[in-house]
Amino acid sequence: MKSVSEKLQRNLFIATFIVPTLVFFFIFTIYPVMQALYYSMFDWSGMSDTKDFIGFDNFTNMFKDPIVLRAIGNDYLLVAGKIVGIMVLATFFAVALTRFNFKLAGFFRSIFFIPNVISVVVIGVLWNFIYNPQIGFLNAFLSLFTEEKVTIAWLGFTSHTIYMLLPPAIWAGIGFYMILLIAAIQNIPESYYEAAQLEGASQWKQFRNITVPLIWEQMKVSIINIMMTTLNGSFVIVWIMTEGGPDNSTHVMGSYLYQMAFRQYHFGYAAAIGVLILVLSLITTVILQRLLRHESVELS
Amino acid sequence: MNMGIKNPVVKLIFFAILVIWSISVLYPLLWTLLDALKNNEQFFLNAPWAPPEFPLLWSNFSYVWNKYHFDVYFINSIVVTGGSTLLGLLLSATTAYVLARYKFKGSNGLYLLYISSMMVPFILALIPLFFLMDSMNLINTKIGLIFVYTSSVIAFGVFVLVGFFKSLPKELEEAAVIDGASHYGTFFRVMLPLSQPGLITVGIVNVLNIWNEYIVGTILINDPAQYTLPIEIGIMQAEMQYRTEWGPLFAALLMTIIPVLIVYIIFQKKIASGITAGAVK
Repeated sequence: MKSVSEKLQRNLFIATFIVPTLVFFFIFTIYPVMQALYYSMFDWSGMSDTKDFIGFDNFTNMFKDPIVLRAIGNDYLLVAGKIVGIMVLATFFAVALTRFNFKLAGFFRSIFFIPNVISVVVIGVLWNFIYNPQIGFLNAFLSLFTEEKVTIAWLGFTSHTIYMLLPPAIWAGIGFYMILLIAAIQNIPESYYEAAQLEGASQWKQFRNITVPLIWEQMKVSIINIMMTTLNGSFVIVWIMTEGGPDNSTHVMGSYLYQMAFRQYHFGYAAAIGVLILVLSLITTVILQRLLRHESVELS
Repeated sequence: MNMGIKNPVVKLIFFAILVIWSISVLYPLLWTLLDALKNNEQFFLNAPWAPPEFPLLWSNFSYVWNKYHFDVYFINSIVVTGGSTLLGLLLSATTAYVLARYKFKGSNGLYLLYISSMMVPFILALIPLFFLMDSMNLINTKIGLIFVYTSSVIAFGVFVLVGFFKSLPKELEEAAVIDGASHYGTFFRVMLPLSQPGLITVGIVNVLNIWNEYIVGTILINDPAQYTLPIEIGIMQAEMQYRTEWGPLFAALLMTIIPVLIVYIIFQKKIASGITAGAVK
């Protein structure tokens, strides 16, 4: 039987370990998120005296705003491109570095993760230089094959520039998912592959029938994670490389939120864009969960 | 027994792909270094892959360090990253320990609150955070930035460390309690030292993320005396449109990359285990 003072001590201990963290987390994370939901219902330029409640008008206006619609399209273009590009390459690298007996596998693995430790800001600046029309890498390379100097402004087309942001995004993202998939593959018992080899199954068959079903769970996590980090974070690469231009053609929801809030001072409208990002990423998560539900195999 | 690939042609092609990708990762780093040693003339007249001409312009580094005040930004980045990583570890380890070892009313709900918050895009909180920090006079302060970064890493820390504490054997704590240790004594003298591998993993992942963070920094800081490195890189990049100093820009990039590269080289294994632990949601 516990004494009263013992119980008090236990509760006091729990409180001192729980409350400071929770208070901190509440002030700097939960409260701002709640407030964002609230602000999204106002027409507000940042001064407190000009805050007008307008209900869901920001949301109805949003769907009439061609830039928002374009931004949503761009976001999902990046999501789709990154899912395909990253998953294909990361899976290939993960398999190649675990199942193919390459010497130097450890070396390759270390190298491939490097882009993930570099700031997206730095990556954006580096790729800006690759695309630079006058002194950039890409034009100089193409000029080797042409008579005249190539001076394509890679980031200057309203119709195509968003595609130019895919290579840096894929390049920067692969290492993380490769490490995740490598860990998953290493958890597969070697005996599964041995049995397959005794039956003469090819490497491709082993990949299709053993590796993929057994790492499906991690592939699913990766795909959903790519989607979420893209919707929430593609802002940085867009802002550094194009600032949403030319002519607002490369905005993603995040960069448009930033521009609306901190360049044009439509804070209510920007908050509504934030809510849109939240809603879309939740909906997309549910949809992806359903689409990817099959094929999962429990490792008994 | 792993047979690997038998067809030598296929094996060669696969190996070539691996080599090409390695070059695509390493070459930009090498070229950042080489370009940091060039002057503008070389940028405009020579091919981008041409090596820098002698004398090498090592002065670009001191130029960035002094004229662009990278000495200040470097210190700011270290203070902000170090401060928020340590505070974040303390706040998440304490809560994680209690959630892993004590049952109380609401403990499951609390755990779920932290976990589900990882689904919420942080960019949503950006606008309210700006006004909140403004009202607390924390705009343009390192401590304000530290608070926001700390809060942003708590959920991840709680998630990984709850798992870690649960994996530790209960016997050690029971022995400590029998020896008359208080709850606090058990945590600080027994559990915290034991959980060092977990703490380091979480800490390193947070160091990398905070060192590289850009959005929150740009919004909360507009006083150059308080800039962190990514904020200044963003500013330099924007200024390049009317003030071309390519050599110094690359020197600046390199100064930002090198510290994380060193951390990565030392703690590679920890980072890999941090990723694996964090992704098993």
